[in-house]
Amino acid sequence: MALFSGVVQAQDVMIVVNKSSSVSQITESQLRDIFTGTRSHFTNGSRAIPVLLKGGPVHEVFLRRHVGDTPDEFRVRWRKAVFTGQGSMPREFASEAAMLEFIAATPGAIGYVSRIPDPNAVTMVSISGR
Amino acid sequence: MDRFGETVMFRCRLPLVILGLCTSALFAQDLENLQIHGFATQGFLFTTNNNYLTMKSSSGSLQWTEGALNVTAPLSERLRVGMQLHMYQMGELGGPNVLVDWALGDYKVSDQLGFRGGKVKVPMGLFNDSQDVDSLFVWTLLPQGCYPDDNRDFDLALLGGEVYGELDLGHKGSVGYRGYLGENRLDENGGYMLQLATYGFTFPTPPSGRIFGGDLRWNTPWHPLTVGSSLQYQRLDGEGPQGNVHLPPAFLQIYYTQWTKGRLEISGEYWRAQMTPMLLTQGLTMQISYDQRSWYPMVSYQLTKKLQVGTYYSHYVNQAADTSDPQNYSKDWVVSGRYNFNSNFYGKIEGHFLHGTGLGYYPQQNPDGLKPDSRMLAARIGFAF
Repeated sequence: MALFSGVVQAQDVMIVVNKSSSVSQITESQLRDIFTGTRSHFTNGSRAIPVLLKGGPVHEVFLRRHVGDTPDEFRVRWRKAVFTGQGSMPREFASEAAMLEFIAATPGAIGYVSRIPDPNAVTMVSISGR
Repeated sequence: MDRFGETVMFRCRLPLVILGLCTSALFAQDLENLQIHGFATQGFLFTTNNNYLTMKSSSGSLQWTEGALNVTAPLSERLRVGMQLHMYQMGELGGPNVLVDWALGDYKVSDQLGFRGGKVKVPMGLFNDSQDVDSLFVWTLLPQGCYPDDNRDFDLALLGGEVYGELDLGHKGSVGYRGYLGENRLDENGGYMLQLATYGFTFPTPPSGRIFGGDLRWNTPWHPLTVGSSLQYQRLDGEGPQGNVHLPPAFLQIYYTQWTKGRLEISGEYWRAQMTPMLLTQGLTMQISYDQRSWYPMVSYQLTKKLQVGTYYSHYVNQAADTSDPQNYSKDWVVSGRYNFNSNFYGKIEGHFLHGTGLGYYPQQNPDGLKPDSRMLAARIGFAF
């Protein structure tokens, strides 16, 4: 619980994917494109399904560091897609545990957590350059 | 059945087919994959002179309500269907009728190539396809020279299809493209129909015509600078008991740029539309030439987490007419503020300093004529989910 009660440092946010995606590395721009909806596949051709936390410090740090948006800006970005028929909102979860459970069960799912997850359930992804 | 009848039947059936696909998707898919979103807004307008946008704004008007509800569902990894219903009331425009805003099937082959078919939004400039989604903007009214609220339903969507994609240019950024082809028609409760009515023309079926065009958007490597251009070709024909309206092929060109960095956003657009609509009645032809040039610079800044402020200058002039006559130009200085009460509720307030009467005024609501200048207060509250 302590992880959610205080300010989470940027380095605490880790990117995780479903194990079947066979992705271990991603660039900052690819990550941003996946979460802003302009990219729907990883570089190896497999489908990417971004998932989000509904809110909280981990969500805010992830958006600020890897997408360059505040939560409000990010919401506006997706509402534009949703209300013009160009896209559907990424799925949101109330907790990291629920998000991890979904990522572990869904090929292509990619999300973020604040603590090192079970390596048997999901794959941690490193960020390489821009 | 003649071609006109087939077209009407196509128009009527297509949204139903899309709705059917949505319904099928509802039953075929896990409900967790279904998304429902909507918004509702209520506006207020007060002007010191003249009545604006068909509202009795000189007395203060609340006759400005809007709402939409959409449902989307994935049918497969590549195919998605959806539909949005929309209603608006702006003075004498719009009405209680619920309209299909968009209803489409979206097949995404890859990030580089996708297709949408049905009733799809038209990409023109920075905001055309999203101009009816109030919750996206700090502005209560977008620059009316480019995005006139009284005529927007004609510009918003077409019945047809579009091809779209995003091409990665590596170190040179990326290019988003959209090309479309179809048919659109005047909104029977919109501003163009009201303008035609001032000339004594009514139409049992709103005038319609072929439309095609495209939009090219370069996301430059100097992130977050975007530059782009939209081009559009449009024609229109309508037959009524008092006569016909004919719009020979009209050409619209748009150039735009946007720069967003942190809390600051700067945008600008230039629009040029050349057209010569004709009204034909009893052997007489009335021809009106337009060479409309519109542009604006705008800047907004997020002051705090909840408060955003901004300003823009909107300029419109019809170069084909006497540009010193106030009815042929509209210049508007705007100061705006938006407060987000939470992630769903927001409120906006905006001051306008209007010069010229070239946009947004109708003789029906201004029977005593127009004064060239006016001040305006616009406010809006909204909810989106």
